[in-house]
Amino acid sequence: MKTLERAKAPRRGLRSRRRRLIPYLFLLPNMAIFGLFTIFPALRGFWISFFDSTDGRHFKYVGTGNYKEIFSDQAVLNVASNTARYVIGYVISSVVISIAIALMLNAQTWGKTIFRSVIFLPVLLSPVVIGLIWANLLDRKRGGINALLAIVGVGKVPWLVDSKYTMWAVIFVGLWTHVGFFTVILLAGLQGIDKNIYEAASLDGAHGWNLVRTITLPLLKPTTLVVVILATIQGFQSFDFIYTLTGGGPVGATTLIVQYIYDSAFQTPIRYGLASAAAVILFFIIFSITILNYLIGRSRDAL
Amino acid sequence: MLRNLSKVRKAGVIAAVAASLLGATLMATPSLASTATKHTPVLKPDNANPGAARLAGWKGKTINYLYFTDGPDEKYTRDLVAQFTQQTGINVNLQIIPFANLDSTLAARLAAGNPPDLARVASPQLYVNDALNLDQYFGANYRKEFLPGSYTAVLDKNGGLFGVPSDLTMNGPLINVDLFKKAGVPLPSTTKPWTWTEMLAAAKKVQAATKTDYAFAIDKSGHRLSTVLSQYGTNLIGAGGTNGLDVAKATKALQPLVDMYVADQAPKDLWLGSGAKYAAPLDIFYAQQVPVYLSGNWQVAALAANAKFNWAAAPNPCDVACGGFPGGKFEIAFKKSANPVIAAYFLNWLNKPAEQNYMDQGSFWMPTRVDLANAGIKYPSNAADMNVFIADSARTPDLAYAKDAQGAAFSNAANALRDGLTSVIAGKTTLTAMLTDLKTKIDGWIVK
Amino acid sequence: MKNIVASANKNKWSSMSGGKPPTTWAVLRTLILIWLVLIIVLPVIWIVLASFKDLPELGQKPPTLIPHAWHISNYSQALQTYGFATFLRNSIFVTASATLLTLIINSMAAFAFAKYNFRGREGLFIMTLAMLMIPLQVILIPIYQVITKLHMVNTFWGLIIPAAATPTGVFILRQYMLTIPDEIIESARIDGAGDFRIFLRIIIPLAKPALAVVTIFSIMWRWNDFLWPLIVAQDSKFYTLPVALAILNGELSVPYNLVLAMSVLSLLPVIIMFVFMQRQIAQGIAQTGLK
Repeated sequence: MKTLERAKAPRRGLRSRRRRLIPYLFLLPNMAIFGLFTIFPALRGFWISFFDSTDGRHFKYVGTGNYKEIFSDQAVLNVASNTARYVIGYVISSVVISIAIALMLNAQTWGKTIFRSVIFLPVLLSPVVIGLIWANLLDRKRGGINALLAIVGVGKVPWLVDSKYTMWAVIFVGLWTHVGFFTVILLAGLQGIDKNIYEAASLDGAHGWNLVRTITLPLLKPTTLVVVILATIQGFQSFDFIYTLTGGGPVGATTLIVQYIYDSAFQTPIRYGLASAAAVILFFIIFSITILNYLIGRSRDAL
Repeated sequence: MLRNLSKVRKAGVIAAVAASLLGATLMATPSLASTATKHTPVLKPDNANPGAARLAGWKGKTINYLYFTDGPDEKYTRDLVAQFTQQTGINVNLQIIPFANLDSTLAARLAAGNPPDLARVASPQLYVNDALNLDQYFGANYRKEFLPGSYTAVLDKNGGLFGVPSDLTMNGPLINVDLFKKAGVPLPSTTKPWTWTEMLAAAKKVQAATKTDYAFAIDKSGHRLSTVLSQYGTNLIGAGGTNGLDVAKATKALQPLVDMYVADQAPKDLWLGSGAKYAAPLDIFYAQQVPVYLSGNWQVAALAANAKFNWAAAPNPCDVACGGFPGGKFEIAFKKSANPVIAAYFLNWLNKPAEQNYMDQGSFWMPTRVDLANAGIKYPSNAADMNVFIADSARTPDLAYAKDAQGAAFSNAANALRDGLTSVIAGKTTLTAMLTDLKTKIDGWIVK
Repeated sequence: MKNIVASANKNKWSSMSGGKPPTTWAVLRTLILIWLVLIIVLPVIWIVLASFKDLPELGQKPPTLIPHAWHISNYSQALQTYGFATFLRNSIFVTASATLLTLIINSMAAFAFAKYNFRGREGLFIMTLAMLMIPLQVILIPIYQVITKLHMVNTFWGLIIPAAATPTGVFILRQYMLTIPDEIIESARIDGAGDFRIFLRIIIPLAKPALAVVTIFSIMWRWNDFLWPLIVAQDSKFYTLPVALAILNGELSVPYNLVLAMSVLSLLPVIIMFVFMQRQIAQGIAQTGLK
């Protein structure tokens, strides 16, 4: 990315200092709100992770006790494995599927708007509604999905009560909800690719899948990176709809890390210190992955 | 000034300032003392009769009442609030929140020095240090107006009363009378309750005859499961607030249930599919797919309005003990709120005979006052059902009330029992192993 | 609309229209998209239908698609829930105001990140991204203490301001602004335009597609926000719809029929807004500007 400031000869004086301040001024409102309402409480949360507290007012110092407890707890190992499996499954499937849909929509000559609006619909629903819908549809005895499957002769699948199936069900519902979101972003990216490039490439004889593979997908990389980062963060943060759908069950098979944090902070026995420690760990995991993604993306862009 | 420093020094100064700001932030440390409000109201004993002059002085003030609703009670609470305002000129700001967020909201508000003036709570022990002592206002004999055992949960460790029991709940079975009639299976009478063996046999017979999905259902809750334990002579929290779990008796109590769930004669999917949450098989009962549903008296209002079949409350089944398992809600005022004295006055007003009677009649609640319990509440409908629960109240063993002395430990144990039983139903562990493990955990939760 | 009609005409199978018949791939593609649409839409239609059922029918096995009787009473009861009109009005007001604020401050921040080089830019951007990763549940009590000290509890400011600085919004807008060629800005500067003017007159119009995307996202986030309004609002006169829904859902004997009706009611305004905005988003995306 070209820079604006360094290109000019450095000038001293009032105008120069004011110019130097300008980016900070643009940044100020957003950062001030972040600072007050997210960064400061987060720092405090970080501090609390070294204490034990059951009511948020009385604290007992435990040092790294909470962290030790988390890393030695068998239940946490289960939660970590669930989270990893969900995120990997969710990110890969959402990126692949939304790119496919965006490509199809982009090539579509009619009804593009309608298709795109409808696919986006679930993004607008609240997690509670989504959980309600799919808990009903995936019910083993009384759900619509099994009723449909019965027509083709498939027996009643225990989608939400057998741990062989629950993770798939949860990934599917996450996908169903968000595929429209990613598709819209990717579509915007596809629209931003200069049509002339396509014409030039097809003059050179590239068509169909070849065209997509050699021209479209590489040019789509910056947008794809956005989608991967957003999907990863979303994956790690997934909680509301899963909690409504399965409550983390059966027997902890779909309990992800945010639910672990929620349970520690909201359900008896309440332990704010433990919840904070788990949140700190989650933060560092997502942070590292996001930085990694960001750096990889940055090195690829011809800046 | 900064202009003159070299770049490095400048960076250092900025870093130092930032660090000290950060330090100051972190040093606003969690302290052992809770945040104090700016004013400490002068508290004087009032005996709930503040006198006309004092009352006049309170006119126009507003108190905040943090509330959660079970459903039918909301309308009646609002009516009472309106009445109170009309009588005294004091405004009551009803702040309703979802039950699931009650304790965390209160924790946040207390931590920020912004508690409501009074609150309706389910786990009063969490607030024993923050709640207003009521003996100083209403006298030490005030508690005698309430059923013994109903206020154990709002006694502090010195025996002082810090809250008022506003309503009692009683667990017990609800029966689909139509299904029983169709199967030709008789129902027990209130005076001669059935045994667990009899009840389960009857349920299975009805299921076989009427081809319903299930024979038996129970709310997915450790509190409901404690009903079964109580009838088999054991409990999560025992007499004197000790560890009351007898693994052998508990295994005997819960094994038949586990067997039914594993055989899908009880709603296994509901139990397994709701994870760490509370779940009620109410819709299965509505759909007439289960003849016996162990829940409690709070379902009466909803069933009266919505059920399309004949149903009734049945007495709790007995084994070594009869009766059900109690629950209750409490109202507390907070020491550090804006108007603790007015809150106390309102608390007292809410639980006077006429007012409590009004609430109980409309919401199908059970009374906590001795005079109302003796006189009986004239419920607008389903009096027979409510009377079954009330009769069971009388039969409930004292052991069942022991949990109130260890509120936090009981909550933890109940959740662990519920989650443990789910593991057993899923085949991940055995009942005995789970219960033995639970017993050890309870030791850790009991507060000495 | 004109485009759709025009292209539909182009693809008519009759030889009279003069256009090519659609390729196999085009047909397949359309079929896949239709199938996709069904997967998306049928569950939502199903829940709308279910919201008209009464409690006994909701537990039926096998499930019925069309309700046996249309219980409009579910809706009238949900609407008569104490304060429903207030909750609806609050949801609308908070969503609209927060979205406006979000657009303003997010685009300003994104502009700084995308088009300026200043000390701490990378660090601040990374910190912005990091904000995405902090679950609200954990910082509930510290946040509550902050907003109490700032006297923002139980006020509309508390509902609107803190949630407006969305990291995702900054992220999306920055990504998009990065693709705006610097030459445009350079030439405006040479013409003597100030930075703010450049931002307002050049960047904002060019960033319309991204702004449209952030708008609909912000509407969706604020409309469905539950935990934040619950923390800030203490009096029900500040409650939003999701809070009302959670209260219903938390009752001891949950009235599922009312919960469904209220859920569908809360869906409608967002969907309507989205349909209304569809044209802006479509137009915005079509206007690719100086690319």
